[in-house]
Order: sequence, then C-alpha cells, then structure tokens
Amino acid sequence: MPFDQALRLTSILLASASFIGLMVGTGLPEWLAALTGMALIVVLLRSVGISSVDHLVMRVPISATGWNLVVIGGFLGFWVDLLWVSEELLPAGIHFLMLLMVIKLFNLKFRRDYLHLYAISLVAILASGSLTTDLWFFPIFTLYLLAGVWTLLLFQLTKSSEATGSFTIPRTIPHDAQDGFDRVTPHLFWIGNGLAIGAFLMTLVIFFTIPRLSAGFYQKGVGENLRTSGFSDTVNLGAIGPIKRAPSIVMRVELSGRPLRNGGPLYIRGVSFDRYDGKAWTNRLSHRRSLREETAGTFVLRGKRSTVSLQSGETIQQKILLEPLDTPVLFAAPFVESVSGPFPNLLSDVTGSVYLPFPSASRIEYTVVSRSTPLVPADFSSEAGLYPESFASYFLQIPHESERVGALARELTHATRGAYEKVNAIQIYLTHNYRYSLDAPLAEQDHPLEEFLFTRKTGYCEHYATAMVILLRMVGIPARLVTGFLATEWNEYGNYYVVRQQDAHAWVEVHLPHSGWIPMDPTPPILEGAGDGNPAWTVLGRVLDNVRLQWNRFFVQYSAADQFAVVQELKAGSTSVRNKALDSMTSLVSAFTAILGGIITQDVSRVRIGFLGKTFGSVLIGLAVLLWLGMRQPWAGRSPGEKRSRQDQAMANLYGRMLTYLSRQGIAKPTAMAPIEFVGIIRARWSAANAHVASITGLYCQARFGHIPLTQEELQRANDDLHRLMSLQKL
Amino acid sequence: MPFPSASVIRRLFRRRSTRVTSEGLQFLIFTLAIGIAAINTGNNLFYLLLAMMLSLILVSGILAEYCLRRLELHRHLPDLLFVNESITAILAVKNRKARLASFSLTMCDVSDDHDVSSRLEVRYLAPGNSRLLSYPLTPTRRGKLQLDGVRVSTEFPFGLFTKKAFYPIEETVTVCPEIQPLDESLLRGLFAAGHEQSVHRRGHGSDLYNLRLYHAGDDSRSIHWPTTARTSQLIIRETEAEEQRRAVIHVPTTAPDSHDAVFEQAVSVAASLIQHLTYQGYGLQLLVGSERSSFGQGEAHSLELLRMLALCERRVPTTEFLSSHESVDPPIEDGAAGALILVQSWRGPGDEKAEHPLVMIDGEMILGGAHAV
Repeated sequence: MPFDQALRLTSILLASASFIGLMVGTGLPEWLAALTGMALIVVLLRSVGISSVDHLVMRVPISATGWNLVVIGGFLGFWVDLLWVSEELLPAGIHFLMLLMVIKLFNLKFRRDYLHLYAISLVAILASGSLTTDLWFFPIFTLYLLAGVWTLLLFQLTKSSEATGSFTIPRTIPHDAQDGFDRVTPHLFWIGNGLAIGAFLMTLVIFFTIPRLSAGFYQKGVGENLRTSGFSDTVNLGAIGPIKRAPSIVMRVELSGRPLRNGGPLYIRGVSFDRYDGKAWTNRLSHRRSLREETAGTFVLRGKRSTVSLQSGETIQQKILLEPLDTPVLFAAPFVESVSGPFPNLLSDVTGSVYLPFPSASRIEYTVVSRSTPLVPADFSSEAGLYPESFASYFLQIPHESERVGALARELTHATRGAYEKVNAIQIYLTHNYRYSLDAPLAEQDHPLEEFLFTRKTGYCEHYATAMVILLRMVGIPARLVTGFLATEWNEYGNYYVVRQQDAHAWVEVHLPHSGWIPMDPTPPILEGAGDGNPAWTVLGRVLDNVRLQWNRFFVQYSAADQFAVVQELKAGSTSVRNKALDSMTSLVSAFTAILGGIITQDVSRVRIGFLGKTFGSVLIGLAVLLWLGMRQPWAGRSPGEKRSRQDQAMANLYGRMLTYLSRQGIAKPTAMAPIEFVGIIRARWSAANAHVASITGLYCQARFGHIPLTQEELQRANDDLHRLMSLQKL
Repeated sequence: MPFPSASVIRRLFRRRSTRVTSEGLQFLIFTLAIGIAAINTGNNLFYLLLAMMLSLILVSGILAEYCLRRLELHRHLPDLLFVNESITAILAVKNRKARLASFSLTMCDVSDDHDVSSRLEVRYLAPGNSRLLSYPLTPTRRGKLQLDGVRVSTEFPFGLFTKKAFYPIEETVTVCPEIQPLDESLLRGLFAAGHEQSVHRRGHGSDLYNLRLYHAGDDSRSIHWPTTARTSQLIIRETEAEEQRRAVIHVPTTAPDSHDAVFEQAVSVAASLIQHLTYQGYGLQLLVGSERSSFGQGEAHSLELLRMLALCERRVPTTEFLSSHESVDPPIEDGAAGALILVQSWRGPGDEKAEHPLVMIDGEMILGGAHAV
C-alpha cells in the first residue's frame, strides 16, 4: 500500500478511535454521532478507492469559504450549546470538537490538515478519559495507540518525499528513487507493529512508575451514583423489591486468608432496623459515632462482643471494591471488627453498622475483618432471658394490630422448648409454607404483614424477614431486621463474589442469651433465574468481569499508596521481590489465562488457573530472557574465537568449499600456509583463478582476522566468485 | 579533576545532538498539558495518556539512536579541486547493523562545524546494505579544504526530533585557484613575447632544428633515414633546444589588506597562465613570494605549480619589506631562463586602489594585461 494512502487510512482510524471513545463514554447526541460516523465511513471508503463514493462527494461541492462558514456556524452553535442547551463547558466543547473533526475529515489536503486532525483526536480521547473509567476505555486506548504510532510513522516517512516534491528544498538530494521505498512493505509492517507493541509496553511501565502527585482521597466522580434502597434510617416494607430486578454491579468481594466460602452464599450486612410500625422499619439506634483509628487507615469497632464469640467465631477477611452508591453505608460480612481503607474518618452505630461520612462519588476499595457469631450449645435448651427495658424497648417492640400474628406465633412455638427451638420453628414454618415472588404488591396494603402471612402467602425477603422478626418478638425473643446483600454469584476466574443490585436482601438477627446476635434467614432459596441463559455467555461474563476488576485495580484505582507499597516490597529483600514479581506477573496474566480457561471449559478450577497463570508467566519470562540473549549476544564479545556471527560462518564455509575445489584441481593448501601465501601459489600455478581466489581470500581474512562483519553484499560477492571459480577448469 | 576544555565539550556535543522539530514542539506542548491535567485531577486515565506520550518520546529517541548507529561512511574526492568548479563527490554509506534497517537518513559534509555540501537523503537502508551517493561539491576558496566528517541526521520514527550523529572522516583536499579563460589581448601579448624570446638553438628537444651531413662521432640514432635514402648520404637530424620555450611566472605575495580581492585575482590569472602555457608545451617555473619551483614541463609539473598557488598566502607589506622592493625586482638567476611573466596585485605604496592585477612580460606591460581575465 502506498505511504500516502496508508497515512490517510491510519489518520481516519485514529480519528475513529477517539470518536468511538467519546461516543461510548459520553453518549453523544444521536444526530452528532450519526454525522461523525457517516463522515468517517465516507472518508474511509474514499481512501480505499471506492470511486462511487468519491463521485457522490464531488457532487456536493463545498468551497473553502463554505467550510469556513460551517466552522463559524459551529462556533456560534458551541456558544448556544454552552449557554442554553448543555449549559456545561465539557459537553458543549465535545460537540464542537466533533464538528471540527467532521470538517477536517473532508479537508485532508495538506500536512497541516493532518496535524489538526491529530490534535482534535488527542483532545477527544482526553475528553473521553475524563468522562469514564470503564473497561472499554482500555481497548479503545490500545487501538488509539496503535493507530497513533502508525500515523506518526507514516507522517514522518511521507515528510521526506513531500519535502523534495511540492515543498522544494533545493539543497536536498534524495537517493531513494532506486529502492522504491514508497509503500508499506512487509518489513515496514512488522517494524511498525513492533514499534507499537514496544510503545505499549513502555506506556505500561511509565504508567506504573510515574509518580502520582495528586493527594485527593476520592477521585472526581463520573456519572451518577447507583441508586439503592433499604439502607436509610426508615425503610418502607417492599422498598427492596424494585431494585431486586436491577443487574448493576454494586460491589465485588474478595475473600483472603482461608478460602472458606468458595461459591457458598455470603451475607453482606448493611444496616439493621429495630422498630416496625406496621408499614415501615425504622432504625432508632442510628446515632453514629466516630471509629477509633488504630493505625493509619485502619478503624476498629468498639463492639460489645461476648467472650464466647470472640474465642470461637470465624474470622473473615474481605477486600471489597464498592461502586459509588447513594448511601454512606459501608457493607461487610457480619460482624465487623476493623475496616482499612483510604478513609479520612468512619462512623458506626450501636448495632455494628459502619458508615462513611458521606456517600462516595467514586469506587472505593477497603478491607474488612469480620468475625461470625457461632451458636453456643447452651442456647439450644435455654429459654429466652429477661432483658432490660432499654433493650426490650428496641428489639421486642411490636406493632399494635397484631393479634392474629401473635396467635400464629404462639401456635408455632407452643410445642417447643427453649429460645433456639422457637426460632427454628418459626424459620422452618416461613421457609416451607410461603412462596417467594417479587410480584407481591403488599406495600399497597394497609396491613402488609397480615396480608403476607394469612392471605397471599407470597412475598420476598423483606416480608419473610419482617414476619420472622414480629413472630419472634411475639414470643419474647429479641430480633431485628437487617438489610444488605446476599452474595451468591461466585466468579471462579477471579476468586471473588460479584454483588449486584438484585442481590439486595433482608434477613433477621436474633439475640440468644449466650450466643448474642445470630443471623437467621427465613427466605427460601431463590430458584427463579437459576440456570437460565447460555452457560458460555455466563462464563464469558464472569471472565470479563474479572478483567474489569483487574482494570479497576491496576489502572483506575492505582495510586501513590500502591507505588509506595511496591517500593516497600522492593526494600523487603530479593527473595520477597522475586516472589512478588512472580505474583504480580501471575495476577497480570491471570485475566488472559482465565479467558483461555473460559474458552476451554467453564469448570476450570482455581488451582488450574493458578497453575496456568504461573506457567504462562514463566514462559513469558523465559521468552523475554531468550529474546534478550538473542539481541545482546553477551558471549559474542567475550570469546570471539569461539562464537562467530552467521555471516562469518557463512564466509568460512565458502572459503572451505573453495579450498576443497582447488584441492580437487590439484592445488591443495598446506595447513601451515597462510591464506595470502596460498593466493600467491594460485597466481603462479593457475592465473585464471587468481582473481576469484584473491577476492574470496580477502573477504575471508576480513571476517576471520579483521573482525569486520561482512555485509550481505560482500557475502553475495564471495558466493559469485566461488561459482565463477568452479566454472573454470584447470588445464 | 580538571574541567574539560571547551573544545572537548564541543566535540562531545558534536557527536550527538537532538533538535525538536515543529511537530515535536506541538507534541511536547500537548504532553505538558496532559501532564498538568493528570496531576491536577489525579485521573489515572490521564496518567495513561501521559505515559503514552512519554513512551512515544522515548521510543522516538531510542529508534533514532539505532538508526544512526553502526553506519560506515567513506567519502571519495578528487585529489585536486578548483575554486568554483563543481566536482562530483561520492559518499558510500553502509549499514553495519545485522537486523535493523536505518530510515530517513540525511547526510552532509561538515567542515569546521558547518555544513559544506548538499544534504543527501536515504529513506531506507536495509541491514547489511550499502549505498553510493553522489553529490556536487563546489569549493569557493582556494587553499586547504578541511572536511571533518559527515553529519548524519534522522527524524525517524515519528518526526518529533531531529537526531544528529557526527561521523569523523577527516580529509584534506587542496583547492586550486580558479582557472579562467585568458583575455585575448593577453594571449596576443604572450604570443608576441614568445616570438621575441625565441632564439633557435641546437640542442636536445623534439622539434626539428636542422639537417646536416653525418660527421664521425655523431649519434647514429639521430640519422634521418628518409633524407639519407633520398640523397644517398648519411644525413643527421638536429633538434632545437627545448629550453628556448621556457617561462617564469612570478606572483608577488605582498599586498595590503585592501588588495586582497585583487591578489586572489592575480593568483587566479597565474593559475590560468600555468594551465595555458602547459598546454603550449612551455617549461615553467613559478615564483610565489619567496618560494620558487624548479623548471618543469607537463601535467604533473603544472599540478605542482597549481598546488603552490593554492597554498600561497598574501603578506601584508612591512617597512623592511618595502625597502627591499621584492615585487619590483624578482630574483631571477638566469637571464636565459625564458620569458618572465609578472602577475602583480600591488605595485607599491602608491597603488592604493587597483581593480585588476597587472601582467607584465619581461618588464613590459601587456596590453589588456591589466584585466587579464
């Protein structure tokens, strides 16, 4: 392909990459996206030489003045957009930028036009980067980098030819007419792509090493926060229902330490409620106090935990990447002991719920140490204890109109002994006698609880949990309603839970005299939705989500703290560094191995992924070392007698063939004779062969003793001489 | 540790230098702007774009360095150059790299840190390949033309920077004075003077002087056989002594600064005379200032004389020199040495303003000799 055509194509590709970035990121107005897209397609078709498009465009002649008028019109439109339509500088600027891009695309005549287009593309990709942090930015950025490298390369290569063509520089003499270097050859193709790969790798290195000077705790928010419900101080019954259908990801939870819950459901606690008025739940214990910061960034809860639970409770360490939500609640597995993260301050209430000072406008990553509460055997037989009034007023409160409910509670528990059995009986009753459905308009009823328990017998988690709390309270067992998420979607490729809005859940915490607060869930397992959809798509979705997580972790969330951590690790010692580097490499390539694993089978185990990652990483490192050795050839300088370049070896072979042939002709070279002396012998005994022998011997000595590497031309010359020599016959 | 001298620093910088192109300047401005935006906002995607820009700059530097590395350059020039006479120089450039090609190379000769030749462009030089480049070279001053090396530059790969490398190939070539066509009147004067000076004498030479009868002791190789056969008597062929076609060209080198241009004209006239008289078969001797050549004939001798003229330098007259009147009384030793041609750029203290050199043959000014060329 000729350089000028290739330059035109790559320039359009560059503009396309930035346009796609803007279109996906900001949602350009339809008319503008269509206009720019059409312009790109038209100029692309023109550049590949489709004449019909060319004729079509030529039929719409717009003079230079016309284009100038369009620019002026666009500029006026920018002000109108800024003042009355978008009313913001960035969207208005982006719209004007796209208009300029369209104008430039149809006016790519001079080199300065190309430069203008590149500047527009750069600003566009910059604007795209400022408006999104989503994963799709990465492939678009990669495409932009590839197109950018090719564009700059071709722009430079065409500069010379243009300089000696229309832009005359009289003192320059081109000497390339004979080699036809005016099109993209396979050699140049690989050089360009190699250059792009090199630039890409160097970009990554610079990106991870360039000092992060920004000191903000939170990045600037992009877009709107995800809407949640069920986490404010007062929640109407049925509030969770609408968001149970939303698939947006709320958080990702990675369990570190013991892999105790691979795939099993994980309760992620938000807030708890103590007062039910018949239609809504209220948290009357919402008074928040600051948490004590034990070490920098680590906050500890001063909870009143029983000695038993502290001794035997299961520790769960979680790393949570929380999307920006409209609530300040900080979610974690129950019950939180400490929280670490980039927080200026954290708050908690007496029920153990943790809060940010204000809702985060960006993703935040934090680590939580929780400890579950085990059921103490003493509670299997003991009756519900006597609670102080201050406690009972909160957790034994029942609404007034609950006679039928009370009767049901007594009926369910009259045959049981001990608090735990009562709890169990109520839970089993609810689980087995009611049907789970999101289509339960109970919120519109005057008495939704009675409607659920006695009429419809259909509802979802909130109804189950509310019913259980009230039934328990009716029989004197303290209980409270808890809202949060029930994580069931385990991503085996990244070893983390994906928590979506539809995973919002409500369950019950029951207070037992010896164990303390025990989570109980009366909601039956949800069967709807399970197993639907193509398994391949499910696997692909999980792999992509894992890539998205890595993208967020390594690119979007990468901070000065991470850099500091890397430096600290480097200081820790060479062994540690080697291990960490291997780990980093493994984690970096794990996404790709996961994709491979996902393609092969969806049953790739964690062990296999780790193994594949390490193998792939080792192979990569090995290849890099081999490449380095091949390029540097460290042995070449140390023992020149032992190792020779390919050219030198080829020359030695040629010389050997010459000696063999001469020997057959009756002129053998004595071992002790120097090559030059042998030329003298040839001159005397076979003058016709002298020129060829002298030429080959000269080149052989140059390579063998002069250590001057031979060029391909010289090798070819020696080869030709040998053929001519072999065509001679000694008389 | 002694501080390196200015020349060492200059030499170091001469080996490698980098200049930002206009496109590169725009690129750097954009990079700076993105860097400021990244620091200001803390947006990692801005850092990613900044890293991309910086990596392109780095790749640009590395690739340009590789392009300029391991080149082998040889220059081929004639032994003798003439002022304002364009010659074809040849530059051989070879890419000694085993794998990487060199792209967008621009080369030019460097003398005293100045480019002295046309820029030669090679857009692609495959690994192991060489290329012969020819280019015109026109010296503008006589004397020694010192070529220090070849400056190779490239804007590959992205055209953001012009990286230059200096390959030292020192070469010194003598530039002779300009050879110009002589004025017609001067040629007539030379012809007339030649006749007056012509005294036909017997001696060694190639032209026929006389035919006579053979005497005992004569060299048998001088027998003129056609005449001998015609007359049936041994006839000897006598030749005309060659020293009769001699000329001494004298170029006084004393001239004040104001006569520098005239002095150069005088040197050019002398060179043109040497060229002309050599073609005419004259034996020539050259006196340049206090330097004196031997008498000689032929192309080699004329080149020797031209070299003397190429290297002669004008001397500013001193008081002692004025009293010696070197320019007026040339130190001719042998009156029979042939015609004395004086090419004078300055006649003495009274000659304040001259436009052309004065040409005198045997003390007589030649008509038209004042503007010989």
